[in-house]
Amino acid sequence: MNAPGARWPVAALGPIARARALAAAVPGAASAEGVLDAPYDVAWPWVADLEHSVPRFDAQVRALRVLERRPHGDAEELRIRATSFGVSLPFTVRLENGFCLMQARRRLYLVVMAAEPVEEGARTRFFHMEAVPLPGTRPLRRHLRRAVAADLRNLTRLASSGF
Amino acid sequence: MPPPPGRSAGGPRAGPESGEPLAGPAPLVGVELVRAARRGDAAAMDALVRELMPYVGRVCGAIALDRGDDAMQETFVAVLRNLHGLREPAAVHGWVRRIAVREAIRVARAARTEVLDPGALDRGAAPAVDLDAVVDVRSALAGLSPEHRAVLVLREVDGLSEAEVAGLLGVAEGTVKSRLHRARAAFARRWAR
Repeated sequence: MNAPGARWPVAALGPIARARALAAAVPGAASAEGVLDAPYDVAWPWVADLEHSVPRFDAQVRALRVLERRPHGDAEELRIRATSFGVSLPFTVRLENGFCLMQARRRLYLVVMAAEPVEEGARTRFFHMEAVPLPGTRPLRRHLRRAVAADLRNLTRLASSGF
Repeated sequence: MPPPPGRSAGGPRAGPESGEPLAGPAPLVGVELVRAARRGDAAAMDALVRELMPYVGRVCGAIALDRGDDAMQETFVAVLRNLHGLREPAAVHGWVRRIAVREAIRVARAARTEVLDPGALDRGAAPAVDLDAVVDVRSALAGLSPEHRAVLVLREVDGLSEAEVAGLLGVAEGTVKSRLHRARAAFARRWAR
Protein backbone atom coordinates (compact mmCIF):
# COMPACT_ATOMS: atom_id res chain seq x y z
CA MET A 1 0.00 0.00 0.00
CA ASN A 2 3.00 2.25 0.16
CA ALA A 3 3.70 2.18 -3.55
CA PRO A 4 4.87 5.53 -4.87
CA GLY A 5 1.81 5.67 -7.10
CA ALA A 6 -0.64 5.06 -4.28
CA ARG A 7 -2.79 8.08 -3.61
CA TRP A 8 -3.86 8.09 -0.01
CA PRO A 9 -6.30 10.87 0.69
CA VAL A 10 -4.50 13.87 2.12
CA ALA A 11 -6.26 16.58 4.11
CA ALA A 12 -5.36 20.25 3.83
CA LEU A 13 -5.19 23.11 6.27
CA GLY A 14 -6.23 26.28 4.49
CA PRO A 15 -5.11 29.74 5.60
CA ILE A 16 -8.32 30.40 7.54
CA ALA A 17 -8.26 27.06 9.35
CA ARG A 18 -4.62 27.73 10.22
CA ALA A 19 -5.52 31.16 11.58
CA ARG A 20 -8.47 29.74 13.54
CA ALA A 21 -6.18 27.17 15.16
CA LEU A 22 -3.81 29.93 16.26
CA ALA A 23 -6.69 32.05 17.53
CA ALA A 24 -7.98 29.15 19.59
CA ALA A 25 -4.61 28.72 21.26
CA VAL A 26 -3.38 32.27 21.82
CA PRO A 27 -4.49 33.62 25.20
CA GLY A 28 -6.78 36.62 24.99
CA ALA A 29 -7.18 36.49 21.22
CA ALA A 30 -10.17 38.22 19.65
CA SER A 31 -11.23 37.33 16.14
CA ALA A 32 -13.82 38.13 13.52
CA GLU A 33 -14.67 36.40 10.28
CA GLY A 34 -16.82 37.36 7.32
CA VAL A 35 -17.21 37.36 3.57
CA LEU A 36 -16.03 40.34 1.54
CA ASP A 37 -17.93 41.29 -1.56
CA ALA A 38 -14.81 41.39 -3.70
CA PRO A 39 -12.96 38.76 -5.74
CA TYR A 40 -10.11 37.08 -3.91
CA ASP A 41 -7.67 38.11 -6.64
CA VAL A 42 -8.50 41.72 -5.85
CA ALA A 43 -9.07 41.58 -2.10
CA TRP A 44 -5.95 39.74 -0.98
CA PRO A 45 -3.39 41.76 -2.96
CA TRP A 46 -5.06 44.90 -1.58
CA VAL A 47 -4.84 43.61 2.01
CA ALA A 48 -1.29 42.34 1.51
CA ASP A 49 -0.15 45.85 0.64
CA LEU A 50 0.07 46.48 4.36
CA GLU A 51 1.40 50.02 4.20
CA HIS A 52 -1.71 51.19 2.40
CA SER A 53 -4.37 48.75 3.56
CA VAL A 54 -3.95 48.53 7.33
CA PRO A 55 -4.24 52.26 8.12
CA ARG A 56 -7.38 52.35 5.94
CA PHE A 57 -9.33 49.56 7.60
CA ASP A 58 -7.82 49.64 11.11
CA ALA A 59 -8.85 52.96 12.61
CA GLN A 60 -6.36 52.52 15.43
CA VAL A 61 -3.32 52.36 13.17
CA ARG A 62 -2.26 55.79 12.06
CA ALA A 63 0.63 54.60 9.91
CA LEU A 64 2.42 51.46 8.92
CA ARG A 65 5.81 51.48 7.31
CA VAL A 66 7.63 48.55 5.72
CA LEU A 67 11.31 48.77 6.63
CA GLU A 68 12.56 45.61 4.99
CA ARG A 69 11.18 42.72 3.01
CA ARG A 70 12.78 39.55 1.77
CA PRO A 71 11.57 36.30 0.22
CA HIS A 72 11.41 33.31 2.53
CA GLY A 73 10.44 30.18 0.56
CA ASP A 74 6.87 30.62 -0.60
CA ALA A 75 6.45 33.55 1.75
CA GLU A 76 7.91 36.95 2.43
CA GLU A 77 9.37 38.15 5.70
CA LEU A 78 8.85 41.78 6.47
CA ARG A 79 10.05 44.11 9.15
CA ILE A 80 7.56 46.87 9.74
CA ARG A 81 6.66 49.65 12.15
CA ALA A 82 3.06 50.38 13.03
CA THR A 83 2.07 53.56 14.81
CA SER A 84 -0.97 53.39 17.02
CA PHE A 85 -2.06 55.87 19.70
CA GLY A 86 1.26 57.65 19.29
CA VAL A 87 3.26 54.51 19.97
CA SER A 88 5.44 53.11 17.23
CA LEU A 89 5.94 49.39 17.54
CA PRO A 90 8.20 47.13 15.44
CA PHE A 91 6.71 43.93 14.04
CA THR A 92 8.09 40.94 12.22
CA VAL A 93 5.70 39.77 9.54
CA ARG A 94 5.26 36.52 7.64
CA LEU A 95 3.25 37.17 4.50
CA GLU A 96 1.95 34.43 2.25
CA ASN A 97 -0.78 34.19 -0.34
CA GLY A 98 -3.87 34.30 1.90
CA PHE A 99 -2.07 34.45 5.22
CA CYS A 100 -0.34 37.16 7.24
CA LEU A 101 1.09 36.91 10.76
CA MET A 102 2.40 40.07 12.40
CA GLN A 103 4.12 39.72 15.74
CA ALA A 104 5.44 42.69 17.67
CA ARG A 105 8.79 42.70 19.33
CA ARG A 106 8.74 40.86 22.64
CA ARG A 107 5.38 39.45 21.59
CA LEU A 108 3.60 42.53 22.84
CA TYR A 109 1.00 42.31 20.11
CA LEU A 110 -0.14 39.78 17.56
CA VAL A 111 -2.19 40.21 14.39
CA VAL A 112 -3.23 37.40 12.07
CA MET A 113 -5.15 37.87 8.84
CA ALA A 114 -6.22 35.10 6.50
CA ALA A 115 -8.32 34.92 3.36
CA GLU A 116 -9.67 32.32 0.98
CA PRO A 117 -11.70 32.54 -2.21
CA VAL A 118 -15.37 31.57 -1.99
CA GLU A 119 -18.01 31.26 -4.69
CA GLU A 120 -15.33 30.30 -7.23
CA GLY A 121 -13.23 33.30 -6.33
CA ALA A 122 -16.02 35.83 -6.81
CA ARG A 123 -15.97 36.71 -3.11
CA THR A 124 -13.47 36.40 -0.28
CA ARG A 125 -13.75 34.85 3.16
CA PHE A 126 -11.66 36.91 5.55
CA PHE A 127 -10.46 36.14 9.07
CA HIS A 128 -8.93 38.71 11.36
CA MET A 129 -7.43 38.14 14.80
CA GLU A 130 -5.63 40.37 17.26
CA ALA A 131 -4.19 39.55 20.65
CA VAL A 132 -2.08 40.93 23.45
CA PRO A 133 -0.71 37.54 24.46
CA LEU A 134 0.68 38.58 27.81
CA PRO A 135 -0.36 37.61 31.33
CA GLY A 136 -2.92 39.88 32.92
CA THR A 137 -4.31 41.29 29.69
CA ARG A 138 -7.67 39.50 29.76
CA PRO A 139 -9.51 42.77 30.52
CA LEU A 140 -8.32 44.03 27.14
CA ARG A 141 -10.19 41.30 25.34
CA ARG A 142 -13.51 43.15 25.20
CA HIS A 143 -11.75 46.10 23.62
CA LEU A 144 -9.98 43.81 21.16
CA ARG A 145 -13.27 42.17 20.17
CA ARG A 146 -14.74 45.56 19.38
CA ALA A 147 -11.60 46.55 17.48
CA VAL A 148 -11.46 43.47 15.23
CA ALA A 149 -15.22 43.67 14.59
CA ALA A 150 -14.79 47.31 13.54
CA ASP A 151 -11.84 46.38 11.31
CA LEU A 152 -13.92 43.74 9.57
CA ARG A 153 -16.82 46.17 9.09
CA ASN A 154 -14.45 48.72 7.56
CA LEU A 155 -12.90 46.11 5.32
CA THR A 156 -16.33 44.89 4.23
CA ARG A 157 -17.36 48.43 3.36
CA LEU A 158 -14.13 49.07 1.45
CA ALA A 159 -14.50 45.82 -0.47
CA SER A 160 -18.08 46.63 -1.41
CA SER A 161 -16.96 49.95 -2.83
CA GLY A 162 -14.13 48.41 -4.83
CA PHE A 163 -11.41 49.48 -2.37
CA MET B 1 -4.34 47.99 16.85
CA PRO B 2 -4.36 49.40 20.37
CA PRO B 3 -1.11 50.00 22.21
CA PRO B 4 0.34 47.21 24.29
CA PRO B 5 -0.16 47.36 28.04
CA GLY B 6 2.25 49.58 29.88
CA ARG B 7 2.74 51.85 26.88
CA SER B 8 1.05 55.19 27.14
CA ALA B 9 0.29 57.50 24.29
CA GLY B 10 3.10 59.93 23.73
CA GLY B 11 5.64 57.61 25.30
CA PRO B 12 9.14 57.08 24.00
CA ARG B 13 9.20 56.29 20.34
CA ALA B 14 12.07 54.55 18.69
CA GLY B 15 13.12 55.57 15.23
CA PRO B 16 11.92 53.51 12.29
CA GLU B 17 15.36 52.05 11.69
CA SER B 18 15.70 50.58 15.17
CA GLY B 19 13.52 47.49 14.73
CA GLU B 20 14.82 43.96 15.00
CA PRO B 21 16.85 42.91 11.96
CA LEU B 22 15.58 40.00 9.93
CA ALA B 23 19.04 38.50 9.84
CA GLY B 24 19.69 36.56 13.00
CA PRO B 25 20.02 33.05 14.33
CA ALA B 26 19.30 30.12 12.02
CA PRO B 27 15.62 29.23 11.75
CA LEU B 28 14.35 27.25 14.70
CA VAL B 29 13.81 23.60 14.02
CA GLY B 30 12.70 20.60 16.02
CA VAL B 31 13.04 20.85 19.76
CA GLU B 32 13.92 24.53 19.78
CA LEU B 33 10.88 25.28 17.68
CA VAL B 34 8.66 23.35 20.07
CA ARG B 35 10.16 25.18 23.05
CA ALA B 36 9.60 28.56 21.44
CA ALA B 37 6.01 27.63 20.61
CA ARG B 38 5.46 26.50 24.22
CA ARG B 39 6.64 29.90 25.39
CA GLY B 40 3.79 31.45 23.41
CA ASP B 41 5.76 32.69 20.42
CA ALA B 42 2.98 32.81 17.80
CA ALA B 43 5.45 32.80 14.89
CA ALA B 44 6.96 29.61 16.31
CA MET B 45 3.49 28.12 16.82
CA ASP B 46 2.72 28.82 13.19
CA ALA B 47 6.07 27.43 12.05
CA LEU B 48 5.36 24.28 14.03
CA VAL B 49 1.99 23.96 12.29
CA ARG B 50 3.67 24.33 8.91
CA GLU B 51 6.27 21.72 9.79
CA LEU B 52 3.66 19.22 10.97
CA MET B 53 1.11 19.97 8.26
CA PRO B 54 2.15 17.31 5.69
CA TYR B 55 2.15 14.51 8.24
CA VAL B 56 -1.09 15.52 9.94
CA GLY B 57 -2.68 15.92 6.50
CA ARG B 58 -1.88 12.33 5.65
CA VAL B 59 -3.23 10.93 8.92
CA CYS B 60 -6.40 13.03 8.92
CA GLY B 61 -7.03 12.56 5.21
CA ALA B 62 -6.80 8.78 5.38
CA ILE B 63 -8.90 8.40 8.53
CA ALA B 64 -11.46 11.19 8.26
CA LEU B 65 -11.65 11.20 4.44
CA ASP B 66 -14.05 13.96 3.34
CA ARG B 67 -13.90 15.50 6.82
CA GLY B 68 -10.12 15.38 6.80
CA ASP B 69 -9.75 19.16 6.59
CA ASP B 70 -11.98 19.60 9.66
CA ALA B 71 -10.04 16.93 11.52
CA MET B 72 -6.81 18.70 10.63
CA GLN B 73 -8.02 22.01 12.05
CA GLU B 74 -9.22 20.28 15.23
CA THR B 75 -5.87 18.52 15.51
CA PHE B 76 -3.94 21.77 15.39
CA VAL B 77 -6.30 23.47 17.84
CA ALA B 78 -5.64 20.61 20.27
CA VAL B 79 -1.90 20.58 19.58
CA LEU B 80 -1.43 24.31 20.10
CA ARG B 81 -3.70 24.49 23.14
CA ASN B 82 -1.96 21.61 24.87
CA LEU B 83 1.66 22.27 23.99
CA HIS B 84 2.35 23.20 27.60
CA GLY B 85 1.44 19.64 28.56
CA LEU B 86 4.04 18.11 26.28
CA ARG B 87 6.68 17.04 28.77
CA GLU B 88 9.36 16.09 26.30
CA PRO B 89 9.63 18.37 23.25
CA ALA B 90 11.65 15.74 21.40
CA ALA B 91 8.60 13.48 21.50
CA VAL B 92 6.45 15.99 19.63
CA HIS B 93 5.88 13.85 16.55
CA GLY B 94 4.54 10.86 18.50
CA TRP B 95 2.42 13.18 20.62
CA VAL B 96 0.97 14.89 17.54
CA ARG B 97 0.33 11.54 15.89
CA ARG B 98 -1.76 10.47 18.88
CA ILE B 99 -3.79 13.69 18.76
CA ALA B 100 -4.26 13.53 14.99
CA VAL B 101 -5.52 9.95 15.11
CA ARG B 102 -7.87 10.73 17.99
CA GLU B 103 -9.28 13.84 16.34
CA ALA B 104 -9.60 12.18 12.94
CA ILE B 105 -11.54 9.26 14.41
CA ARG B 106 -13.74 11.62 16.43
CA VAL B 107 -14.54 13.85 13.45
CA ALA B 108 -15.09 10.88 11.14
CA ARG B 109 -17.41 9.19 13.62
CA ALA B 110 -19.43 12.36 14.01
CA ALA B 111 -19.82 12.66 10.27
CA ARG B 112 -20.21 9.02 9.59
CA THR B 113 -22.87 8.12 7.10
CA GLU B 114 -22.55 4.83 5.33
CA VAL B 115 -19.90 2.55 6.70
CA LEU B 116 -19.70 -1.17 6.26
CA ASP B 117 -19.72 -3.34 9.33
CA PRO B 118 -16.25 -4.88 9.41
CA GLY B 119 -17.66 -7.85 11.30
CA ALA B 120 -19.75 -8.70 8.29
CA LEU B 121 -16.78 -8.74 6.01
CA ASP B 122 -14.85 -11.77 4.90
CA ARG B 123 -13.30 -13.39 7.92
CA GLY B 124 -11.22 -15.72 5.81
CA ALA B 125 -7.49 -15.68 5.31
CA ALA B 126 -5.80 -12.36 4.61
CA PRO B 127 -5.93 -11.63 0.89
CA ALA B 128 -2.96 -12.66 -1.15
CA VAL B 129 -3.07 -9.53 -3.26
CA ASP B 130 -0.40 -6.97 -3.87
CA LEU B 131 -1.90 -4.01 -2.07
CA ASP B 132 1.08 -1.92 -3.15
CA ALA B 133 -0.56 -1.84 -6.55
CA VAL B 134 -3.44 0.20 -5.20
CA VAL B 135 -3.54 3.63 -6.78
CA ASP B 136 -6.75 5.21 -5.63
CA VAL B 137 -7.47 4.09 -2.11
CA ARG B 138 -10.14 6.56 -1.11
CA SER B 139 -13.09 4.49 -2.21
CA ALA B 140 -11.66 1.43 -0.50
CA LEU B 141 -11.05 3.34 2.72
CA ALA B 142 -14.57 4.73 2.63
CA GLY B 143 -15.91 1.23 3.25
CA LEU B 144 -14.09 0.94 6.56
CA SER B 145 -14.94 2.36 9.94
CA PRO B 146 -12.73 5.22 11.21
CA GLU B 147 -11.18 2.87 13.77
CA HIS B 148 -10.21 0.37 11.08
CA ARG B 149 -8.84 3.12 8.87
CA ALA B 150 -6.72 4.30 11.79
CA VAL B 151 -5.18 0.87 12.25
CA LEU B 152 -4.52 0.56 8.55
CA VAL B 153 -2.94 3.99 8.25
CA LEU B 154 -0.75 3.64 11.31
CA ARG B 155 0.46 0.22 10.19
CA GLU B 156 0.75 0.70 6.44
CA VAL B 157 1.58 4.38 6.07
CA ASP B 158 3.31 5.15 9.34
CA GLY B 159 4.98 1.77 9.59
CA LEU B 160 4.22 1.32 13.28
CA SER B 161 4.34 -2.16 14.78
CA GLU B 162 1.11 -3.78 15.94
CA ALA B 163 2.23 -3.24 19.53
CA GLU B 164 2.83 0.46 18.86
CA VAL B 165 -0.54 0.83 17.19
CA ALA B 166 -2.19 -0.89 20.15
CA GLY B 167 -0.46 1.43 22.58
CA LEU B 168 -1.41 4.50 20.59
CA LEU B 169 -5.07 3.55 20.25
CA GLY B 170 -5.37 2.17 23.77
CA VAL B 171 -6.56 -1.26 22.65
CA ALA B 172 -5.17 -4.78 22.97
CA GLU B 173 -2.65 -5.99 20.42
CA GLY B 174 -5.06 -8.77 19.48
CA THR B 175 -7.66 -6.12 18.63
CA VAL B 176 -5.16 -4.44 16.35
CA LYS B 177 -4.37 -7.72 14.62
CA SER B 178 -8.05 -8.43 14.17
CA ARG B 179 -8.85 -4.93 12.88
CA LEU B 180 -5.89 -5.01 10.56
CA HIS B 181 -6.87 -8.34 9.13
CA ARG B 182 -10.44 -7.21 8.55
CA ALA B 183 -9.36 -3.88 7.16
CA ARG B 184 -6.97 -5.49 4.69
CA ALA B 185 -9.58 -8.01 3.66
CA ALA B 186 -12.24 -5.36 3.21
CA PHE B 187 -9.77 -3.19 1.38
CA ALA B 188 -8.92 -5.99 -1.03
CA ARG B 189 -12.57 -6.97 -1.55
CA ARG B 190 -13.61 -3.46 -2.41
CA TRP B 191 -10.63 -2.98 -4.63
CA ALA B 192 -11.41 -6.18 -6.50
CA ARG B 193 -14.94 -5.01 -7.39
